Amino acid sequence: MTTRDVFWSIYREALPILLIALGGGLFAGLVLEGILESVERFPGLLVMVPVFLATRGNVYGALGGRISSGLHQGLIPPRFERNERLINAVVASFINGIGISIVIGVITWIALLVIGWEVAAVYELVGIMLIAGVLTSVVLILGLLALIFTGYKYGYDPDNLVGPIVTTLGDIFGMLFLLFAIGLVEVIV
Amino acid sequence: MVAPSGGSLGSWDTKTIVTNMFPLLIVLSIIVLAAGITLEDAEEMLNEYGLLAVMVPTMVDMGGNLGAILSSRLSTRFHLGTTELDPRDRVLWGNVAAILALAATIFTALALGAYALGVLFGFALPLSTLLVISLVSGMSVAVIAIVFSFAATYASYRLGIDPDDTTIPIVTNVVDVCGMVIFIGVSALVLGF
Repeated sequence: MTTRDVFWSIYREALPILLIALGGGLFAGLVLEGILESVERFPGLLVMVPVFLATRGNVYGALGGRISSGLHQGLIPPRFERNERLINAVVASFINGIGISIVIGVITWIALLVIGWEVAAVYELVGIMLIAGVLTSVVLILGLLALIFTGYKYGYDPDNLVGPIVTTLGDIFGMLFLLFAIGLVEVIV
Repeated sequence: MVAPSGGSLGSWDTKTIVTNMFPLLIVLSIIVLAAGITLEDAEEMLNEYGLLAVMVPTMVDMGGNLGAILSSRLSTRFHLGTTELDPRDRVLWGNVAAILALAATIFTALALGAYALGVLFGFALPLSTLLVISLVSGMSVAVIAIVFSFAATYASYRLGIDPDDTTIPIVTNVVDVCGMVIFIGVSALVLGF
């Protein structure tokens, strides 16, 4: 392959996927713009936004990678059924995703205390992260599995699907549920 | 951002997956906390220019995405036994050029998309300003993503660690932080904030 061939094959393969991720990112950005109004009420909220978004990629990207390896190796079937491996992997992602959400609330609170900035109560930050974390887990895990299984049945390599699916779903639903969680905590507290 | 395969992929046991991954997740969260603190610090500027907030999620994600594409290609090459980083290697330059071209396309599209949304929702900034902010920060992040991907893949290969397990997640998260910091810095400079 010449340099030119390598260049075009990577460019053509990656561009559609990155453009979809861009669409998701812009939508998430509009939601973030709406969240800015609540920042006065909960100082520290903006600190959690990039961490929350990045974690979605870390947790569910790993789940997607595991599922796609499992499909390639024939260890799990490409459909929703009581398969012990599938259930174990899904349960582990729930624990990781929800657990790390709580950790994000706590370390944000500690970090802002240490640098001496204004910060909301720790139970408010953790509450927002917990609600948003639980809701995104459910939607991302179900959505990711459904899309990987469907793609696999139609002959797409799941390895190429996982990254863009996770980024796009994570951005859109992560920010929507964050907005929802902020509203809910505002009402409850 | 995209972190492909954290933790040992061979395992299908809930407890093993959680104990393998959770410490890494905490480390990654602490790394990205730097991006969050940068964002919180820029709150006034974001309130004044809402369009910047619209660009934030893409800025956080895209550098990591580009880094992940390059890293996974490099690590596949290492797995296949192409272990030399030879500057005369044309395939490597093809990879680097493609990443830069993807970055130029995506960050131009980001500026256009943000501009269109600004017109639609009534918080417009001039297109030229958006293009300068998006392309200057985007291309800087792309260069950082390329340098980090090479360094990390090579280092983990030399140290005998599978790059897929830890290197790629760490690279993408570090690049995400750089994206945020550079974006806020360039915006402040361009808008004179």
